[in-house]
Amino acid sequence: MSDALIRHEPVSETPCVAHGVRISLAPPMQRYTLRARYAQDLERVFKVKIPSKIGASEGGIMCLGPDEWYLRRQAGATIPTSEGLPVAVADVSERSICLVIEGPRAAEILMSGCPLDLDQFAVGRATRTIYETVEIILIREAEDRFHVEVWRSFAAWLWMAMTTAARH
Amino acid sequence: MILIHCPYCDEKRPEIEFANAGQAHIARPLDPSGQTDAEWEAYLFIRANPRGRHHERWRHVHGCGRFFNAVRDTVTDKFEATYKAGEPRR
Ligand SMILES: [Zn+2]
Repeated sequence: MSDALIRHEPVSETPCVAHGVRISLAPPMQRYTLRARYAQDLERVFKVKIPSKIGASEGGIMCLGPDEWYLRRQAGATIPTSEGLPVAVADVSERSICLVIEGPRAAEILMSGCPLDLDQFAVGRATRTIYETVEIILIREAEDRFHVEVWRSFAAWLWMAMTTAARH
Repeated sequence: MILIHCPYCDEKRPEIEFANAGQAHIARPLDPSGQTDAEWEAYLFIRANPRGRHHERWRHVHGCGRFFNAVRDTVTDKFEATYKAGEPRR
């Protein structure tokens, strides 16, 4: 309860609804950055399959780089802990917020500022990239639904840029 | 926009995701205290500036985050090859 009272979101909590696209703030969630030389070491901690191909995601764990993964869980979830393994797990829950871009024009709006060819970006893929000048993590949740993870301090500007593109 | 093949992501990605990091294959001296001033100068400051084929470090900074090496033509801006850090010079 007190959490809800002190939480201050950097973007509007009222979704932006435009022709063919809806942009909204996702509920707060837990985020972790995972580092390890070998995915198997993380598998020993989390007891799930860790995707090893860069850009792939599985069960909420995304492979961002050769030794870097990103894990998202719903607020309140607990993650396993372990000792003695050569891995680093850091809680970065409040570093970013997540915008949900959905609708038949979702990919078009994203491609107005992101240089990736989203026609070649299949459902389930996740990657760090750029929107205009802002670094984001782009996740394709469904054919017409994307998640955009962005650092809090860039979020207000990104919201302005994306909603402007959506209304254009 | 130029597309650059990232050897870690193993796909072509837009140039704007990358950062140039200077000349490649410059190894730090294994015995720093044994170096003369001239050798230190060469290691720290002296760089090739070819017109044409050049070995460079690049970083996929807004992607997988990794440094890798590239052979790029400084006249045409064409990338001849990219390969992982630690692999032999091409
Ligand atoms: Zn890469």
